[in-house]
Amino acid sequence: MKSLWWAQVKAVIRLEMRKTFFARRGLWIYVVALLPVLLFIALAVVSSNHRAKMASMAGREERPLTYQDMQAIKPDMTKEEVIAILGKPPIVFHWTDHRPGPDPSGPAEEVARESYRYSDGQNDLILGLANGKVDSINIHEGLDVGQDSVVFAGVFQFFFLRLAVFFGCLGIFMNLFRGEILDRSLHFYFLAPVRREVVMAGKFLAGVLATCTIFATSVVLQTIAFLWHFTPAAREIYLYHNHGLEHAAIYLGVTVLACVGYGAFFLVAGMLFRNPILPAAAILIWEGINPFLPAVLRHFSVIYYLKSLCPVDIPTPPGTPALFALLVSNSDPVSAPIAILGILVVALIALYVSSLQVRRMEINYSTE
Amino acid sequence: MNDRIVFEDVSKVYGEILGVNRVNLSIPPGITSLVGPNGSGKTTLMNLMTGLVRPTRGRIQVLDCRIDDPEDLFKVVGYSTQFDAFPKGLTGYQFIYSFLRLAGREADSAKRLAWRAIERVNLMDAAKRNMAGYSKGMRQRIRLAQALAHDPKVLVLDEPLNGLDPLARSEMIALFRATAAEGCYVIISSHILHEVDVISDQVILLSNGYVVAEGKIQNVRSEIQEHPTQILIRCDRPRELAAKMLEYEQTIEVAIHKDERGLLLKTRDADRLYLTLNEMALNGIDIESIAPADDDVLSVYEYLIGSEEVVR
Repeated sequence: MKSLWWAQVKAVIRLEMRKTFFARRGLWIYVVALLPVLLFIALAVVSSNHRAKMASMAGREERPLTYQDMQAIKPDMTKEEVIAILGKPPIVFHWTDHRPGPDPSGPAEEVARESYRYSDGQNDLILGLANGKVDSINIHEGLDVGQDSVVFAGVFQFFFLRLAVFFGCLGIFMNLFRGEILDRSLHFYFLAPVRREVVMAGKFLAGVLATCTIFATSVVLQTIAFLWHFTPAAREIYLYHNHGLEHAAIYLGVTVLACVGYGAFFLVAGMLFRNPILPAAAILIWEGINPFLPAVLRHFSVIYYLKSLCPVDIPTPPGTPALFALLVSNSDPVSAPIAILGILVVALIALYVSSLQVRRMEINYSTE
Repeated sequence: MNDRIVFEDVSKVYGEILGVNRVNLSIPPGITSLVGPNGSGKTTLMNLMTGLVRPTRGRIQVLDCRIDDPEDLFKVVGYSTQFDAFPKGLTGYQFIYSFLRLAGREADSAKRLAWRAIERVNLMDAAKRNMAGYSKGMRQRIRLAQALAHDPKVLVLDEPLNGLDPLARSEMIALFRATAAEGCYVIISSHILHEVDVISDQVILLSNGYVVAEGKIQNVRSEIQEHPTQILIRCDRPRELAAKMLEYEQTIEVAIHKDERGLLLKTRDADRLYLTLNEMALNGIDIESIAPADDDVLSVYEYLIGSEEVVR
């Protein structure tokens, strides 16, 4: 009997995959999944251009500079002292500034200002000079995989998981039953000698396969785009010596779990509600306010477990608003096995409710 | 072992709308027609016996199957619905093939059965075309093919002749007859009475959600005592026969047929009238034939319900 059910599940998956992947009304899901990829491609292009500019600047310097050379510059150094350490700047701006003199009613004081710009090929040094003395020092640190991995983590947690995967799962799983009720074609499944729970399982697995394929591909492309503009050496260090590969695998796993968790939620919501906007909004709000909920309620959420699994914490610099800090931080994380188990339990509860619902379902299109 | 389709005190209410009320039926093998105007409860009855809707009260059993167990039920039931929508992007062949795969058939068996079902409904030429381009008649036939594909014992067909041209209609009627002759249960809904007359072994007359009569059409007719039986007598001297028949007390009304080759006679005691006619035949009037003129579904339906919504 179990082999028959499995054969029937596969038959449902075959039918559903065709609809899920090639439905015109699902095109927006591909767009949402590709948005972070486009973001990282744009970042890579901008970073590459910036690096090319700095390399060009470094090439025009009298001698190659190091980061330590740039750090040797201190306020109130004279122009001559700066040039002695760093050489003549490849980019110089001059202008004259006017500021009030010691006597407010007297004439304004003229200040001869200059801006020197240096680069070691990766980092950017901008010096401000007033009347021949250094009065501001800005070192713009260039490309750093560590910093960019925090950006990746931010995009992953706040855009990809909470919006792209969330709404993608909504679009796919809500339509598994609701879409067919609206198309008046659900009876096709209900006229076959197959248990309705088997139909539900097949539809759910088809949804999981489709969302995992779309969003896991997006994660892979995001990772490639995020690492694209670094040197091969920097990429190798990040991937093989700084847990980069491990992080990429964890992001993939979190994406799969997100698809399973949100998918189960939206499957049952699609059966219980005619209008998908209301349950979607309710779940979105519930997931959004999760950090502000009491500890007991926090466990009945998908994002709570997903956040616990994310490999990179997003730092909250001093001065960050308390609400935002609470949203970003994960004050009460659970261990990975518990997080995985938690999502699977939440999904199983949702699937159990779905199985009860699908058995009670009637074909009565005229009331929809 | 139950060999009937049984409804026991079944009612179905949609919110505040009555679908069917207190239906008790026991449907034997053969062709059974559900007859009634739109909204009389035909489709509700079919959806109930296939588990697509659940009764508000009462019990339904299809042979030995419960209607809330589709895995068992649809091994013996094939249902061609009136729902005119299909899974998107499929050809007619893929539609039937997918259905059979869903039923758990192996690929080879599904392929063979799909082509056989398509052949039975005479849709071979269009089988590889996307169903989105099918005409109404083609869609009707592919639904029939789906219902037939897995050789069900019970075939439930909701308005199966809608949209078919006359040739296709006669082909389908022959198919239903052949299926019934194999001992199957063929349940057909129709509001076109002359079709029902031609194909049915028994009828179930519905009106406003109630079963008003059921059984073989002649039996149903004979039970309607308040309407006199109408008999068509073909003979060589209809006027002479009419004059003689008026002398008998069981004769209520006599009219000469418009072709002047027979008469229409109304009586409340058909059996005695037939004996009288035998005497007439012995007394020199050449009687060619005697046949009931109002034991068709249309007459019965009009006697019982008086509706004009049914189509002749």
